[in-house]
Amino acid sequence: VTTGQPAALPPRHRLEERLRSLTLPRGITLWSILRVLAALAATLIIFAILLQVLGTDFGTAFNAVTDSAFGNSFNLGQTLMIASILIATGLAAAIPFRAQLWNVGGEGQMWFGAFVTIGIALNLPKGMAPGLSVTICVIAAMVAGAVWGLVPGILKATINANEVITSLMMTFIAIELGNWAIDTIWPQGASNETMSVPANTLMPNIWTGTLVTWGLPLAVIAAIIAWAVMNRTKLGFEIRAVGLNPQSARMNGMSVSKVAIVTFALGGAFAGLAGAIFILGINSALPSGFPLNNFGYLGIAVALVARLSPLWIIPSAVLFAALRVGSDGLQASTGLSTTVGQILVALFVILLLGFRLIRFSYPEVASR
Amino acid sequence: VSPVQTLFSLGIALMVPMLFAALGEVIIEKSGVLNVGIEGVLLVGAFAAAVGVNYGNGSIWVGLLVAIGAGVVCGIILALLYVRLGTDQIVTGIMFNILAFGLTTTLAAKYVHASESAQFPDWHIPLLHDIPGVGNVLFDQDVLVYASIVLAALVFYLTRRTWFGLYSRAASEFPRAAESAGLNVWRLRYAAVIVGCVLAAVGGAELFANSGGFVAGYTNGRGFIALAIVVLARWNPFWVVAASLLFGVAQALQFEADKLGFLGDIPSHVLVALPYILVLAAVVFARGSRYPAAVGIPFRPTRSST
Repeated sequence: VTTGQPAALPPRHRLEERLRSLTLPRGITLWSILRVLAALAATLIIFAILLQVLGTDFGTAFNAVTDSAFGNSFNLGQTLMIASILIATGLAAAIPFRAQLWNVGGEGQMWFGAFVTIGIALNLPKGMAPGLSVTICVIAAMVAGAVWGLVPGILKATINANEVITSLMMTFIAIELGNWAIDTIWPQGASNETMSVPANTLMPNIWTGTLVTWGLPLAVIAAIIAWAVMNRTKLGFEIRAVGLNPQSARMNGMSVSKVAIVTFALGGAFAGLAGAIFILGINSALPSGFPLNNFGYLGIAVALVARLSPLWIIPSAVLFAALRVGSDGLQASTGLSTTVGQILVALFVILLLGFRLIRFSYPEVASR
Repeated sequence: VSPVQTLFSLGIALMVPMLFAALGEVIIEKSGVLNVGIEGVLLVGAFAAAVGVNYGNGSIWVGLLVAIGAGVVCGIILALLYVRLGTDQIVTGIMFNILAFGLTTTLAAKYVHASESAQFPDWHIPLLHDIPGVGNVLFDQDVLVYASIVLAALVFYLTRRTWFGLYSRAASEFPRAAESAGLNVWRLRYAAVIVGCVLAAVGGAELFANSGGFVAGYTNGRGFIALAIVVLARWNPFWVVAASLLFGVAQALQFEADKLGFLGDIPSHVLVALPYILVLAAVVFARGSRYPAAVGIPFRPTRSST
């Protein structure tokens, strides 16, 4: 809707206008920085109150979190490995979101990727060269994730089904498939996880003294590829055009259905990569408590804080991974559940949304 | 009692959380808001009921009251975000679900004991209860089952026969026109979101009562199934009852299949996943079903009001 500039603003708005008009380089205004700080402060205040209710003070919690997330190189390595999962699930959300297609099923696409990774890794010949077997598993996981993402994508493109509902349902199906793998298909004795994948399918370590494996560079490469696709190809242009205005994109000869299918397949492939990194690079088996981590859903938060930009997803993922790993330290020192980090993430993103720092454009209904 | 009767009896009990949530969602969507956060509200309702039961001497009615209170709080928060601040409804809803999951899991680990449970009292309807075959299936349920059916009729009346229903249809199809006719779109959406969240929270209380304790993330997509039920039922509360029953029975199958002959051979994981697969089938079946035009799009009033 077009709003003409009012002749004289009331005093409160005049101050706001002056703050808005102070622009720093690259279009960042002082006003937006103030709002980011306000959102951050509000998040921390609410979280500090919550910690008081739970019987911990903020300082203790802060020290426990930072110490176990960055305290030494081993802990930093843990944070970077969780970050590599979140980079991949962040890309899984960011690419469809750029086209205003809501792939919120990254969790399931990641699970199915992990499921297929285990199935392939357990059945590859024992003597196969590690490089080859890891490559096969990673590609298989990405294809699997893409297939899982294609279901909501195709349903969206063909019958305009609400992709939020369909991608979430695919998530619950994938989680149940994972539970099946844990207790029936590839059970590991009495423990609550699948069999471990053989050593020749594990990603090699790249930083001695830590558990950092090839999963980290793979995730970073994925982010760079996603950036290149989004910003340097015709496909990326079409995705962004559909996101800005599907009607005008269609009138300019672009296929909205094609974009729906391609973005869901791409997003699913990145989520599948997250599953492969988790199995081959971190844990070597699928544990039953894994859904409690919500890595797929947290990828949405990662993507939003990065404003759907593939390269900004990397620092955003490191931040949220630090919270996840830090929550382990918090649990060890205070006995709080590790899900406490998810509260902080969700609060922060909700407040960023509330302060209008994350926004989307909408067609004006009244013009129809 | 035959296994089929047990199946349907259990299915009716399991349908109730989804039915409450879906009826709330009908009211919300009919006002022009898509509440993806319904899953989180359901979870918060279940948690609040658990807290109420725990600290209210095991009384489920205290649990229900606390759940309603929690529903109001969720409704106010979500209404502020969806309506006043005009945030993207899908993204906000998903983030609200993560928040609800994190909060309830963290708080439950500290304050709620999983063993603590309470049920809503059963109500045997005299005479009707004695009808052979269907009597003990339909008329031997807990009070919330009957309440949910009455509620469906009320929601039908509210959305189809009252000024509120008429205005909210305008607000969900063409809010700009509704505004120019003098309607305060925001105020109507506030009311709808809060009422809808209260209904979802009551569904959460029933979920807690059914399951005999609070388990982390127990909703398992029931809120999302409710979203699909609304589409499948085309926003008609009576069809919402039918669709909820379908998914309730689908959920009951995993507990009763072993007594139903041939169904006992299906792996239990397939039966657990069945409701979700059924939703995908339902989405294909309901492909002609269209959301009201303005659902999901934040509305900005021409003049700033309220």
